[in-house]
Amino acid sequence: MYFLIITFGFLLAMRGARPAPLQRPSEGLRRIVREAVDLFLTTSLILALFALAADFEEIRASVREYAILGFGVAAYLLSRYQKKTDVFFLSVIASVFIISLKRPDLSQGILLAGVISAGIALFQTCLLGLRYRFLFSPMPASIKGWPSLCLLAGLISMVLWGLWNPAF
Amino acid sequence: MFLAYLPFMVYPYGFFKAGVAAIWIVMFLWGTIFFFWFTRRLFPDRSLKHAFFLWLIVWAQAMWMLTKLPPYWIVSVFFLTPVSFLDDTAKASHVRVFSKKVPRYFFERVLTGVGFAGFVMLLTFVREIGENSLGIKAFEQPAGMLLVAAALAFLWKNQPYRRKG
Repeated sequence: MYFLIITFGFLLAMRGARPAPLQRPSEGLRRIVREAVDLFLTTSLILALFALAADFEEIRASVREYAILGFGVAAYLLSRYQKKTDVFFLSVIASVFIISLKRPDLSQGILLAGVISAGIALFQTCLLGLRYRFLFSPMPASIKGWPSLCLLAGLISMVLWGLWNPAF
Repeated sequence: MFLAYLPFMVYPYGFFKAGVAAIWIVMFLWGTIFFFWFTRRLFPDRSLKHAFFLWLIVWAQAMWMLTKLPPYWIVSVFFLTPVSFLDDTAKASHVRVFSKKVPRYFFERVLTGVGFAGFVMLLTFVREIGENSLGIKAFEQPAGMLLVAAALAFLWKNQPYRRKG
């Protein structure tokens, strides 16, 4: 799950909602929080629908067998309804899938969705903060862009791994 | 290319399995482009993107049922797909089948696929070496591959021929 948080945190930071200008970090932070809340609510709603459908004896087997199809269509419709980006939709699918693999009950599933959303928000906040710091630092042109972004993401990932291991 | 690789960090696969998954993604990408290239004019306006994502979801379900391949691979396909392909506002232009544009277009997609498969195998090989042979702890988590990606991006950005220009 930690790999998913870092991977999709990075993808959402790069290709998620239109980012705020780096000069206005508070606006960027607000957007990150809003995206994380949306991700949590969308994932939780799909998990709730899945749990509801699985309660019906007649369709339980089909619901479980065609879970990806069901998650996918629900995630796509909900993302389009909220006018979210394609990466948001893909992140929802990935989150719901990894949670459903653990076969938790609904409350545990929602808790895991909260952990994923909070983890992604924390990763993106750290990345935003460091990018903002880099903006006012003398940095050679040779490492600007992708090299510095990957380097920052790698360093943040190392730090969060240190927090993740004792917590989970 | 790098963003398309990222889902492979979630897969706990070794070199062989990652290679097979990458080859599947490339084959699927080529099949998808081939399919939509010839059928896109049949779709009503602005519905191509919806059809594309539904196509991805259906295939993700099929691959999960057949091979238990988790559906993260559709993210790779999404990032490898040409941007113009998913542009709702773009109109499909009239291109004759025997036009020179067709082989050139498909040749570029072939190169993209081959490059992606090679990139995945290279990074998986580096991860295997770093994690198993050298025992570097950073490769047990995403940080290792992100740092390798930073090094590759640095080398790519500072290629000698670019400096001459």
